[in-house]
Amino acid sequence: MSPLSLIRHRDRLLQALVLVGLVSVWELSSRAGWVHPFLLPPPSDVLARLFADMQSGVVFVDLGLTLYRAVTGFVIAAVLAVPLGIMMARRRGVQWFFDPLISIGFPMPKIAFVPIFILWFDIYDTSKVIMITFSCFFPIVTATYSGTSHIDKWPLWSARSLGASESQLLREIILPLASPAILTGLQIALPVGMITTIVTEMLMGGSGVGGAMIAAGRFADSVGVFAGIIEIAMLGMVVIRALDWLRARLLVWHPENRAH
Amino acid sequence: MTADFGIKIEGVSHAYRGAQGQNAVGTLALKQTDLLIHHHEFHALLGPSGCGKSTLLYLIGGFIPVQTGSISTQKGPVTAPGPDRSIVFQNFALFPWKTVLENVMYGLQKKGLPEAECRDIAQAHIKLVQLSGFEQAYPSQLSGGMQQRAAIARTLAVDPDILLMDEPFGALDAQTRRVMQEELRMIWKRRPKTVVFVTHDVHEAVFLADRISIMSARPGRIEHQIDTGLGPERDESTLTDRRFVELGEQIWRLVREQAVLASRGGL
Amino acid sequence: MAAGDMRPVAAVDGRGSLLAVVALCVRYLPVLIMLAVWELVGRSGLVSQQMLPGIGAIAAAFLDLLQSGELVVNAWRSLSRAATGLGLAVLVGMTVGLLMATRPLVRTLINPLVRILYPMPKSALIPLVMIWFGLGDVSKIFLIFLGCLLPVIVSAYNGARGVNPFIVWSATSLGASKEQVLREIILPAALPDILAGCRTALAFSFILMVSSEFVIAKDGLGFLIGSLGDGGNYPAMFAVILTVAGTGFVADRLFGSFVSHRLRWKEQA
Repeated sequence: MSPLSLIRHRDRLLQALVLVGLVSVWELSSRAGWVHPFLLPPPSDVLARLFADMQSGVVFVDLGLTLYRAVTGFVIAAVLAVPLGIMMARRRGVQWFFDPLISIGFPMPKIAFVPIFILWFDIYDTSKVIMITFSCFFPIVTATYSGTSHIDKWPLWSARSLGASESQLLREIILPLASPAILTGLQIALPVGMITTIVTEMLMGGSGVGGAMIAAGRFADSVGVFAGIIEIAMLGMVVIRALDWLRARLLVWHPENRAH
Repeated sequence: MTADFGIKIEGVSHAYRGAQGQNAVGTLALKQTDLLIHHHEFHALLGPSGCGKSTLLYLIGGFIPVQTGSISTQKGPVTAPGPDRSIVFQNFALFPWKTVLENVMYGLQKKGLPEAECRDIAQAHIKLVQLSGFEQAYPSQLSGGMQQRAAIARTLAVDPDILLMDEPFGALDAQTRRVMQEELRMIWKRRPKTVVFVTHDVHEAVFLADRISIMSARPGRIEHQIDTGLGPERDESTLTDRRFVELGEQIWRLVREQAVLASRGGL
Repeated sequence: MAAGDMRPVAAVDGRGSLLAVVALCVRYLPVLIMLAVWELVGRSGLVSQQMLPGIGAIAAAFLDLLQSGELVVNAWRSLSRAATGLGLAVLVGMTVGLLMATRPLVRTLINPLVRILYPMPKSALIPLVMIWFGLGDVSKIFLIFLGCLLPVIVSAYNGARGVNPFIVWSATSLGASKEQVLREIILPAALPDILAGCRTALAFSFILMVSSEFVIAKDGLGFLIGSLGDGGNYPAMFAVILTVAGTGFVADRLFGSFVSHRLRWKEQA
């Protein structure tokens, strides 16, 4: 093993040790009562609860619901935002109309609009999904617009001079060239969607991971709260990994995926 | 006269730790290098890419620690960077958020001089490099040649005993390069210093230097040392001087074999 | 002797400003169009006035809230909490990030924490701070602090690592000590990245401010929205929501101008 990779391994090992050390300190201080076990329950208790919930299936029901809402909202947003982003890049009129609306919407704390959606729809899934769609929409349309308008013009001109029609151009040249940027937008939007899902679930209560966590909070069930945090963390990691894998598959041809 | 040397380099070797894929020992950049540079000498280190000339310069500057051998100046052994051995880099390395004046004042402020004095000395050096009028400009507003002038002013302002220059004109276009070479000689005449000038350009080395060390391909060693003997006055007419042309040819022949070796990956 | 060419940093003149204002109006015309559509939809009766109050009603409610002081008081509570959390996050985050980049020991200790916490949506910690700190100010300030901390740490760390090493060498050869290099060279060089991280943190602070006040609050703008909604006073609810959204937007724009000014030394790409 060459010296540099040895160093990297040692580095990673040290970092892992730091984590292990912290968790051990946590377990110890919680059990020994140095920290009030209510505020910081022992990791072993949290894991035990997680296990129990997994066996009873509660975890999967909650995660499933949260995931379903997040993905639904995300997909709707993508279906609306990607075509709009492309059109904005191709037609000046479309860009002129939507650009200010989007650039105003982007930095707004969109979560503030939840009560409006509750008013318009209901207190169950519809309003949640619409809210998620709303928050996913902006990063996707921005990334799509930016990616599509910044593609290399040389392949485009070559294709045109070879006689490609507008729709062929769009499908076979523009879309593939813009896909890295579009995918990046999607990769940002999904976690945003998941956060929005969890927050809306917390606001409205009920089912789903967010709802379960806020219920645990209100009942002062700190073990449950920590279990929920771990569930969310794992969900987040799984989703991000899945997206990375998907990106690598779709962008096999792209230089970013050439082995270095 | 015995202690009146500029830089003494004795038995210096340097190895870089191996990158992935290389052997555990790493790359030997310099091998058993000995060099004595005289006081106020304009000395060029000439050689192909990867011959270790920049490494040697950084060792003199104190930016990388000496592994084997020793390097010393009149002030003693070299252990760390300092304003007695100021350096000019190829990519100018100006502080982009500071104006030209603030850049040039930086080293002076580090010396603890009062603000007004810093300003005055800085202005004088900006004038020396013919950059007057651009004190309030940011580096991003200047052309390459102007940025390098600013970098030279910044380095000279702290009045170093030794001026280190790492292919300073390499990033400039050919015309600007010629102009800068002439101006550097003029400045050096007015402010004599010991200069160590790294370059791969033979004509540049011959035009500028009193003495040239030709370095071998990796692992680097000083293969030849040549006195240019061209005298202190150098300008455009020098370029057509018979001695200059002959010397250029002679040195190029020496360098060429090293250059070929280097392009094949060294010994 | 040729002096070389100089590129201007900013072009400002009287005629330019007038053109800029006109351009701004044209740019934001679609917003006016949307507002007009909004009003029309309400007037036409397509949607009940309850669900989509007219702009006039909203404006009236806004003025009411302003006069009664309710809006100002709650806005002050919310924004001061957010500012505190954000301010602390920026200070601590910058320091930690810069130290991580320059001292390997700090990096080894802090990096694993960052990597674990980074993908964690901080809003998920709302129930946790509720348990720890109750419904008061501390829980929200702490939440905002945590949420804003990580983007700043990461951007400071990356910014510091990306500094041109020759600049650092130049500074040391000009006589700067290690502390001086950190403060006078690495910090300003990393500033573009740090400011980008702060902009993200700013957006997060608003989001966390609103979210936490929806869920666990006794006062503040989020709480106000909730209670207005519960009480059926929809025009007022809309008014406050739009105020919050607008404030977030304005804050971001102001920060953007601040950044442009601070980074005017940068090359205009």
